[in-house]
Amino acid sequence: MSVIGERVPRSDGRAKASGEAEYGVDHAEPDMIWGALVRSPVSSGRITRLDTAPALAMPGVHAVVTAADAPDTRAGWVLRDQRLFAADRVLYEGQPVAAVAADTLELAREAAAAVVLEIEPLPAVVDLDAALRPDAPLVHPDWESYVPALGPDADYPRHGNLAAESVSDPPGVDDAFARAHRVVTDEFVVQRQYQAYIEPKSAVGIYRDGRFTVHTAHQFPYNVRDRVSQFLDVRPSAVRIVGHTIGGGFGAKLDAALEPYAALLSKAARGRAVKLVNTRTEDLITCPSREGAITRVRSALDEDGTIIARELEVIADNGAYSGEMPWLASIALHCARGVYRAGPTRVTARLVYTNTAPTGAFRGVNGTYLYHAVERHMDHIAAELGVDRREYRLRHLFDDGEELLNGQVLTDAGILREGFEAIEAAAPWAKLEAERRPYRGIGIAAAWWLTNPMPGTAVVKLHEDGTAAVITAATDNGSGAVSMGVTQIVAERLGIPPSDVFVTLPDTDVAGFDAGSQGSRTTRIVGKASQIAADEVITKLKDVAAGLLEAAADDLEVADGTVRVKGAPGTSVPIAVVAATATNTVGPIQGTGSFVTPFPDFNPGCATGLMLPSFPTPTYHVHLAEVEVDPVTGTVQVLRYLVAQEVGAVISPDGTYGQVMGGVTQGIGYALHESLRIGEDGRYRERTLESYRLPLAGDVPRVEFFPLEHPDPDGPHGAKGVGEGPILLPAAVIANAVSDAIGRPLNNIPITPEEVLAALQTAELRNDEEHVR
Amino acid sequence: MDVTLTVNGRQAQVEIEPAETLLGMLRERLRLTGTKEGCNEGECGACTVLVDGLPVDSCIYSAAATSGRSVETVEGLADDDLGRELQAAFVAAGGVQCGFCTPGFLTTLVAVLRENPEPSEPELREALAGNICRCTGYSQILDAVAATISGRNRR
Repeated sequence: MSVIGERVPRSDGRAKASGEAEYGVDHAEPDMIWGALVRSPVSSGRITRLDTAPALAMPGVHAVVTAADAPDTRAGWVLRDQRLFAADRVLYEGQPVAAVAADTLELAREAAAAVVLEIEPLPAVVDLDAALRPDAPLVHPDWESYVPALGPDADYPRHGNLAAESVSDPPGVDDAFARAHRVVTDEFVVQRQYQAYIEPKSAVGIYRDGRFTVHTAHQFPYNVRDRVSQFLDVRPSAVRIVGHTIGGGFGAKLDAALEPYAALLSKAARGRAVKLVNTRTEDLITCPSREGAITRVRSALDEDGTIIARELEVIADNGAYSGEMPWLASIALHCARGVYRAGPTRVTARLVYTNTAPTGAFRGVNGTYLYHAVERHMDHIAAELGVDRREYRLRHLFDDGEELLNGQVLTDAGILREGFEAIEAAAPWAKLEAERRPYRGIGIAAAWWLTNPMPGTAVVKLHEDGTAAVITAATDNGSGAVSMGVTQIVAERLGIPPSDVFVTLPDTDVAGFDAGSQGSRTTRIVGKASQIAADEVITKLKDVAAGLLEAAADDLEVADGTVRVKGAPGTSVPIAVVAATATNTVGPIQGTGSFVTPFPDFNPGCATGLMLPSFPTPTYHVHLAEVEVDPVTGTVQVLRYLVAQEVGAVISPDGTYGQVMGGVTQGIGYALHESLRIGEDGRYRERTLESYRLPLAGDVPRVEFFPLEHPDPDGPHGAKGVGEGPILLPAAVIANAVSDAIGRPLNNIPITPEEVLAALQTAELRNDEEHVR
Repeated sequence: MDVTLTVNGRQAQVEIEPAETLLGMLRERLRLTGTKEGCNEGECGACTVLVDGLPVDSCIYSAAATSGRSVETVEGLADDDLGRELQAAFVAAGGVQCGFCTPGFLTTLVAVLRENPEPSEPELREALAGNICRCTGYSQILDAVAATISGRNRR
């Protein structure tokens, strides 16, 4: 019986529900001591005094380290622009200046507070437009000396506070605007979003025998290995990262955080294991949150209202250091038209250094606000033309064979129309419009997205009892991609129950490179690698069983826990017997598999700064929301939410729905609740989970989900990525629905009750004026 | 100072600091690490345990105040029919993703269902206002509760 598409309980579920699972924050080592960081209280300034002596003098303090104790080098995922500790200048609030190790956590925090740190404040670069002016102070006066992580040849367009730039300027844009019948212009502003995983970041570092071992709950162990190696100036193989159960990440645990400090402190404390753990406020203010951004878009329309050209400019907040961000800037090129034909399109994406915490990856990177801008703009155009918003979208919708701005051809974009139809069947648009009540509104939007193509590998090892182990550095950040997806795929191939497949936690000393739980890649990439590995196991099983069954290997099949003769299932031998026989005759059975998706063909001359050149394994998404606004309080309740999503094939129905429901909920939080403001001083206003308000059970409806399944021939059982898509569109559809409900455009995210009330008051004022006239 | 209490049905005598939280005592002294610290300010509910049957945020609850009381943590739920059924239903229904909030949801729900064996979905959503789940969007958690209730009604 097949286990693909079946409801299989996640392999780590029992341990998580019983409290036995060991998360990163639960990990302890013998004789472990504790660390704490001294962080900058201001966002921009010059260090005038740093005195560690008072901390070192405290009984029970083992070590205090500063920039003077760390290698004189810079590190970074894409650009090596970051020091482990601030040396002379601090560039954001929360930036580490020193670290201490002591007998207890309380003592470590007391010792950190005893370090004398004096900073002369400097002007903070915070405003994105101002940061790009010629007279703006430079966040990095030494920007020219920085080297990309892949070497000088990998450099890309950047200058001063401009941390990265990608520009596409195809011919015909200006001509089209010159002959346009009408031009529609918009500006959208979005705040940051904090990933707000419930497990704060932590790390345990151990320096032993000349090597660094770090225990951490991390989405991308190989990346943190590379970052620790850069910061501590040792070769990558001198660092071992051991993964633990992850209490949520959503992209924020893809780069190093506390790990290099734990490693350095252990060395300074003569090899004692040192554990660091963030307080919630430390975690919030230093997290690589989703970047705030300003998006300006204008479209040229002909007399029929057809879009004949577009310009889109996005300015995104890099924060003080680059992390992964420059690599993502060219996503604007892939999303500038959404999924609608818009003629030649000029796209300018700018990433700007500011004196704020570095931003980074959050599920649906860049896409959330780009789709918000494009889809709000589509509603605006339809309103200007006085045409139906859904109909206007369908008129411009991509079809099979659509050629994109980068030259990539979407052979299967017609799936989008199926998505609109699936939503229409469940929630007919005309009926929703006809049944409109005061302060209720509807919104619809669509998107396409990638499945991250980066490499993964797995070893499938057969135990002598007929069970299998999968050795991989892939991580399950909670999605179930490993605990359900990979587990089911291996079980299916080997014909054994999923409960007989055990997948290791990651360990970079043991398992080969894996690109981490990002971009919806794990089920597809690691599932495929594991399938290839399982096929090698099957070949070896058949070879050994051929001797036992006195049959030709080609006549055998592996199923139902046995190796058996095809067409004669009575002639069989249990896998366990074959495995045990193999161990003592030809040697233990195991197989290896690796997989990576090639980038689709693209035109390299279409843009400058094209770091992410095309979107592999595309998926398609259509969302609809119905909302109700309370005109007294300004609060918005989401009444109904529908998702039609291309997934390739459903491997785990619970895992797939869990990603859709969870991603939409995070998107609803982004749209309505999660205010994360930055003051003029560069410091966050919201600093705890009390003021940073996450969606609660009463804030979200049950999402109505319609999976679209067009199996990908290269994916395991046809699977494409699932996890990121659901967060791309909630901000777009909810903003459209709220604007529809109150008859006023709301172009900023989040749409807080204050914004709604202000818009309502403006609307009332207008109505009064019209009444007077 | 010493505090004497019942933890998951067993008597315990623990030496604590006067200002210590119940969460600190459970995790650091009794090594009951199933109870999680998410925010340390009573907002996220990951640290929820039952004190004399009532759910409390153990991160802002005094360890000394548990003297003579009975504390139930996620590790003790397997000894309780309702707790065991909820644990199984969470796994079966997809109510667990990263799982870091799960112990707090389970302990809260045990208290809720002991008080009201058949809450409506709106009542449940309200009762869970003190527990944040960042992964699931809550639907599959509510499915798990519904499955637990119908399973109990079938008997």
